[in-house]
Amino acid sequence: MFEDIPVDVGVIYEGERIRRKEMYVELGGPKVDYKFELVRVRKPEEVEDGKVVVIGPDLDQLEEGKSYRFGIFIEVAGKQLEEDLEGIIERRIHEYVNYIEGVMHLNQRYDIWIRISKKSFRKGLKSFKIIGKVLQRLFKSELPIIEKIQVTFITDPDKVKEMWEEAMKVYEARDARARGLKDEEVDVFYGCVLCQSFAPTHVCVITPQRYSNCGAISWFDCRAAARVDPKGPIFPIEKGECIDPIKGEYTGVNKAVAERSLGAIKRVWLYSAFGYPHTSCGCFEGVAFYIPEVDGFGLVHRGFKGVTVNGLPFSTLADSTSGGRQIDGFHGISIEYMRSPKFLQADGGWERVVWMPAELKEKVRGFVPDEILDKIATEKDVGNVEELKEFLKKVGHPIVKRWEEAPPKEEVEVAPEAAPEAVAEAVPVIAEGQIAIGGFRIKMRNVKIKAKKLIIKRRGK
Amino acid sequence: MPWKAISPIEVYKLLPRTNCKKCGEENCMAFAVRLVNLEVKPEKCTPLVEDPKYRKNYEKLKELLRPMVREIEVRSEKKTVIIGGEYVMFRHEMTYLNPPPIAIDVDDTMDKEELAKRIDIAENFRYEYIGRELTLDLIAVRSVSNDPEQFKKTVRFVSNNSSLPLVLCSLNPDVIKAGLAEVPGGRPLLYAATKDNWREMAELARKHDLPLVVSSPGNLDMLMTLANTLEKYGLSDLALDPGTFVGSKGLSYTLSAFTMLRWRACNEDYRLAGYPLVGTPISVWSSMNGDKQTKAWWEAITAAMLITRYADLLILHSIEGWVLLPLVILRFNIYTDPRKPVAVEPGLRVIGDPDENSPVMVTGNFALTYYIVAGDIEAGKINCYLLVIDTEGLSVESAVPGRKFLPEKVAEVLESSGIAEKVKHRILIIPGKAARLSGDIEDATGWKVMVGPLDSKDIPKFVEEKWRPEVIEELMKE
Amino acid sequence: MSSLEEALRSKLSELLGSKLAEALEKYGELVLEDVEIEVDELELVLHPGAIVPALKPPVEVRPLKLIETKFEKPKMEWTGKVVEVKLGATKSEGGTRDRVHIVGGETVPAFYMFAEPMPHPPVVAMDVFDMKIRLPKAIKVHFEDVMDDPAEWAKRCVEKFGAEMINLHLVSTDPYIKDTPPSEAAKTVEEVLQAVKVPLCVGGSGDPVKDVEVFKKVADVAEGERIVINSLNLDMKLDDIGPHLKDKDCVVIAFTPMDLDKARELNRKLYDYLPKERIMMDTNIAGIGYGIEYGFTVMERARLAALMGDKELQHPIVAGVTNAWAAREAWIKMDPYWGPKEIRGPIWEAITGLVALLAGADYFMMMHPFSIKTLKEIIDYLGKSPFEIEETPPDWVSAKLG
Repeated sequence: MFEDIPVDVGVIYEGERIRRKEMYVELGGPKVDYKFELVRVRKPEEVEDGKVVVIGPDLDQLEEGKSYRFGIFIEVAGKQLEEDLEGIIERRIHEYVNYIEGVMHLNQRYDIWIRISKKSFRKGLKSFKIIGKVLQRLFKSELPIIEKIQVTFITDPDKVKEMWEEAMKVYEARDARARGLKDEEVDVFYGCVLCQSFAPTHVCVITPQRYSNCGAISWFDCRAAARVDPKGPIFPIEKGECIDPIKGEYTGVNKAVAERSLGAIKRVWLYSAFGYPHTSCGCFEGVAFYIPEVDGFGLVHRGFKGVTVNGLPFSTLADSTSGGRQIDGFHGISIEYMRSPKFLQADGGWERVVWMPAELKEKVRGFVPDEILDKIATEKDVGNVEELKEFLKKVGHPIVKRWEEAPPKEEVEVAPEAAPEAVAEAVPVIAEGQIAIGGFRIKMRNVKIKAKKLIIKRRGK
Repeated sequence: MPWKAISPIEVYKLLPRTNCKKCGEENCMAFAVRLVNLEVKPEKCTPLVEDPKYRKNYEKLKELLRPMVREIEVRSEKKTVIIGGEYVMFRHEMTYLNPPPIAIDVDDTMDKEELAKRIDIAENFRYEYIGRELTLDLIAVRSVSNDPEQFKKTVRFVSNNSSLPLVLCSLNPDVIKAGLAEVPGGRPLLYAATKDNWREMAELARKHDLPLVVSSPGNLDMLMTLANTLEKYGLSDLALDPGTFVGSKGLSYTLSAFTMLRWRACNEDYRLAGYPLVGTPISVWSSMNGDKQTKAWWEAITAAMLITRYADLLILHSIEGWVLLPLVILRFNIYTDPRKPVAVEPGLRVIGDPDENSPVMVTGNFALTYYIVAGDIEAGKINCYLLVIDTEGLSVESAVPGRKFLPEKVAEVLESSGIAEKVKHRILIIPGKAARLSGDIEDATGWKVMVGPLDSKDIPKFVEEKWRPEVIEELMKE
Repeated sequence: MSSLEEALRSKLSELLGSKLAEALEKYGELVLEDVEIEVDELELVLHPGAIVPALKPPVEVRPLKLIETKFEKPKMEWTGKVVEVKLGATKSEGGTRDRVHIVGGETVPAFYMFAEPMPHPPVVAMDVFDMKIRLPKAIKVHFEDVMDDPAEWAKRCVEKFGAEMINLHLVSTDPYIKDTPPSEAAKTVEEVLQAVKVPLCVGGSGDPVKDVEVFKKVADVAEGERIVINSLNLDMKLDDIGPHLKDKDCVVIAFTPMDLDKARELNRKLYDYLPKERIMMDTNIAGIGYGIEYGFTVMERARLAALMGDKELQHPIVAGVTNAWAAREAWIKMDPYWGPKEIRGPIWEAITGLVALLAGADYFMMMHPFSIKTLKEIIDYLGKSPFEIEETPPDWVSAKLG
């Protein structure tokens, strides 16, 4: 596919680093103020397939050793493409540019940092048009839903700034849409079975407001993947009827999960950790675990090194919920799901969370109201469940109200009647009018009583 | 059908909930989680066991957590062996827990020399496999003489010269009784109660509180009859021997018997089948015609079949290394927890006879990965250094996107292995699947990175073509 | 707290039942002779002037006779069935093979003979390569003189070792080995088809691009023979090779690396081009110590899922048992205690094959004649009815063994 390209193209170049002294030129990067990469989906007539445009000086006209403002603008068209898929396609620019020998691409969007090596320049990589060609071929072969693709490189400093401003608006609109899209607004969820583990058939159900457990795939990613690879591991799930909006139970989801698990899992409540929680395989990012002493949830993430407030480390908690099982009160989840407005909504959402590692707290700050987030204890505040109780009372965590309404059962349920055990001590027996007092005991084991004759008389008469 | 997973909350409700910490956990919920993971036994909660007001809960908890196949301990003064204790029929439903111990037999007509030789093998058999030591577990003492005195002498000799727990094998209760006198501190397994001797055997087992095998080769009705009767007799540590047959008149029966019994125990909770299953590949030696090697061969085959399907104990006669080696490794493999990848120790491995110009390669510590990579390098007769980094037991393919193939770890192992003193160059060959980390690894280690092939089978080719002095020189210059 | 009297009474009523009360009622006195009562713990409390024995209940009653119990077979419900795949074609079907094999068709897990007989015995095929390759000595010794000629090699397998099918591996087509062109590879296939009349399976080099070209040519020359193509995978252009193989009436092995979800995905994609009865699955197996448990579990799960109704896994399973030879223990010289490698290798391969057989494998690719012989014997034994047992079970307990 790349015989006419002067440099090599392949996966092995994906991580190559170009040092300052090896580089021919730097595009974007920390020294440069305006840089971006953007993909837009257009109507077919608006895209000229295979066209590569360079606005501003081409690669061989740039001065060696210098850093420049830079923009990559890709326009695509195809029957199955839509605006929602722009981000997914855009993410691949990083991957594909890196495949080119001697070209390094770091970060994304308005943070891109590209370097081209002197070696590759000498070999013949002297025009952006070559890079454009490579990108087009890779995009079309990896994502066949792209029917037409046009690439524009911008090195003209003013033009870069102008288009950067437009790009920023596009990014913001995208993010707002992604965050704003509600489960209620779509008809289709997606199922993913990409997990390589030994869980009995487990399916992740991914909705706009419920990220995959592994944290790697959003509903948009699924949408794209299912289009690109309709027979692949990601497949659409018709929502069906909503049985319970708070718990998140849908007829379509139940059906899909029952089929996929060959009947082992019949119902799923998407937004709860009780009853029929969503299953996990083994690669979830975090665990929500129930703390009965305070009737609340603790959260812990995979990277957390110590033990949680109940004395168990992540790994032990993970074990109890992995393997595709529905375990009441123990729930494998992703960090993005923690940021969702539907997070554990059936159980009380964030007001039911009482403990989480400090590091994890910072990851969700901004998505959870500070007033509640600050009332959640971390490993820095408390070391065990008793201290946790005190802390929650002190800060006035909403969970305390739950205690007042229904105090957590701490008393032991005493067995209704003492078991009919033999009393250990022998008690003197009153037999036939005799009363025994004092004396001593002889205990014998494995006694055999042999009687030549045993006479049993009926009493009385 | 599969074993139902329990929520820690269900378990928690049956605990004292006082958070007294006597079990070693911070609180009762933590203990509940460990119970559910089968990491600890309920008996660790001493209040639960000792305080009568928790008696009912303790019984309920034991029942809730009860394995579908009874767990039995067989002990010598020095060692304990566990038989049974399984929860699931198929390992992928959760995991198997207790690898079937292997018993090597001796008989009471063997002279001291032969006894000593066989005891030595049983005691000292060792094979190192991915950092673990694989061993044998028991000695089965059989009475060929049918003479209680002779049996007694032999049991004494074995007891005095070995540390392993014993299986006492005779269908003559008087012989067994005599043998028992020579294992005062132990808890041997008695083989076996049959339809002809069950009362006396049961009595011995009951009196001395010993586990007892129930044997009915070829007749499952009788097997259940015996188990049922002995249960009512008061015995609870029973094991079942449905009969191990070979050849065209019985191998199929044996496989079916083990399968049916295990199915009924695990999937139907049929209590009479819920006892450990005893496989006796040793029977090949009396049922087959042929030379020793043929018998040993078929003993290995039969044992492998039973390891794969549900045997909780195996009695073997062969002491040949080539018979036992595949069996102990297979046993280890099948009884690995499928949910936890097996890992090898990170660190430096020397393959072949490398010198200061030999390549240095990196890979993850998933046992399978390590073995395949090392195997491919060896098969290609390459001399090199292989650095194994801790990817938490994940394969390279999973570790890279899972962010477990960390450049810092590479740097760590590089440092601790002292490899810099062993080679002149400073080039690391990384797996093709870790290509995207090449820059990061260079940054973290200060070494140059060469991206190797995607599949380790191409390593020999790669080394031949790319590991050349010119290439090395070039790279070192940059 | 019961007294000796009470304990006796309860024991006797157990033994005699209601008859005791009846009898006493009628006669007023019962005399029992030679009575034996066992008590676990008997406590005698001796008081001055009176001996009052106290008993610890309960006194246990032990059965005197066997309690007859019947063993009932498991209750199982299997709703799925594995498709039957035909390998090879005889003259009447347009080929030139002297026999046809059928594999698959199971409705219960492997060798659940107590429920259903095996519809078709698994097939064990022998591996042949289109060039001399490095092989462990234990295998080489049987084929050294024919390794330069695949047709002769195949003949050796069939004539001397009774192979029921041949797997021809066109490894020389690997671009990094000899890069043999497809047309030449096809010629080799023709030669082998001439040389032996058992059904044939043809494998490529593993290069996804080259294999597609090779398979096309091979399918062309083998048209009508219903050969098995080993194998297709997710890295290949299935839309290119799929229809061609369908056209030429081939059977296809779908290969995935020990991953059930990929196995389903590959099958799903193949269904676009091939009928289900032309597809077998290879989920990959490794030898003892080298990942056998992964292969075993994936196979077992695949087969169980198929029988529980998973429509994307209902195919016969292929086991590349030759992989067992990759284990070091199978071919290296070891300390004498571990035996000669001449026997270690074959037992390694045989047991690896056995494990795959128990997971549900229907088609085996193996190399050593002795391992193959063993596996075929095992298949024969296990295929017998489980109710046909040796009349008198051998007595190993009290026998002097060799």
